[in-house]
Amino acid sequence: MTARVAVVLFPGTNSEDETQRALAAAGIAAEIVHWSRGSAALRAFDAFVLPGGFAYEDRVRAGAVAAHDEVMDAVIEGAQAGKFVLGICNGAQVLLEAGLVPGTGPLRRPTAAFAPNAGGKFLSVHVHVRLAVAPERVPLLAGLAAGAVIPAWASHGEGRLAAPATELDLLERDGHAAFVYCNARGEPLPAPNGSAREIAGLTNRAGNVLALMPHPERDGWTFMHRDGDAEKAAARGNAQAMLAPSGGAIFFQAFAAALNATVRTR
Amino acid sequence: MSEPVERAYVITLTIPDNEAFTALTTLARMGLDVDAAVRSDVWIATVDADHAAALDGAIGTIETIYNPNKHRLEIRTDAQPRPGEVWVTAYDETPAITVAGRTVEGLRGIVHRTAWRLLDERGADVPASLLDRATESFLCNLAFQRAIR
Repeated sequence: MTARVAVVLFPGTNSEDETQRALAAAGIAAEIVHWSRGSAALRAFDAFVLPGGFAYEDRVRAGAVAAHDEVMDAVIEGAQAGKFVLGICNGAQVLLEAGLVPGTGPLRRPTAAFAPNAGGKFLSVHVHVRLAVAPERVPLLAGLAAGAVIPAWASHGEGRLAAPATELDLLERDGHAAFVYCNARGEPLPAPNGSAREIAGLTNRAGNVLALMPHPERDGWTFMHRDGDAEKAAARGNAQAMLAPSGGAIFFQAFAAALNATVRTR
Repeated sequence: MSEPVERAYVITLTIPDNEAFTALTTLARMGLDVDAAVRSDVWIATVDADHAAALDGAIGTIETIYNPNKHRLEIRTDAQPRPGEVWVTAYDETPAITVAGRTVEGLRGIVHRTAWRLLDERGADVPASLLDRATESFLCNLAFQRAIR
């Protein structure tokens, strides 16, 4: 049985194509589903991916309007039933505003925020993020190695995790802080956006929902790596190597492996 | 240098405000009985009293935050929301010392708020309890923002 994955598109989403391609490269034929099709169109899917961009122009707050959209009813129901839900960048903001991550409060009453970056400016930089919890804490990425380092591009104006100190303590203590910013060797690095505790990604209590601010799909093929990258340099003149999945691709490969294993056991 | 005074510049679109309309649509989806939402940008300045009039003039001519062709500008001499208004701001906002990148003499600091008013079908402010509910469940993320009433 093949997993059915919906890439959920809100008005203003702009990363659905590369997200769908990254999933395809990992062996998942995902379908892009427009928000206007409503919850009914989503319920048959096994998993949901909310890609990056802007949802409803990020009016009121990034992710806030989309979090209350009717189509999110199916995403919330699915998450509560144990389906995998992945949000990247704006998708992460939507999941947080929907209360699905960290999931420490009521639905649609966020206990944390992806607030405007420190310095108030849009950020577009290459980053690395490290899996900061045991792989088994996040079943959605169960195939990742402990401490896995994922290259990605951070591209956001509101990616600074902010929350009261007591909530941040809880997030770290209970393993909600799934990914942190780091260097290429996985060593701690200050978050480029000022994110609290250097947190780049959050998961819920069950580990079936993940919100990640940077974009692994934008560094998922060799040609996408930043200039100076050794793998990219070695691939010059070799189109096949340049177009091969690498870097951030391991994130989607882990997601696909975990998802297929889950669907097979149903 | 004279004593500092506060000025609140309340800037509201006079053309259709798509953001307010989107907010209204979401409030309706949440089951809140609201007929109209009015959104304003509020810039609160602390300025030397001697330069307050000059700042008023500067705000009125720096078209990046106020454009007379599409905004209404109300200048208040206090920095308090009016009854029926809620102001939303980040807990950790750092005051700027320029206005839209321009230096204005006598300006000590300026901060931003987003003001919301919710109206019923008669054009009157909705009950405070309804505004509170809309604020806490949608207009304000209490994890990093606060609502000023």
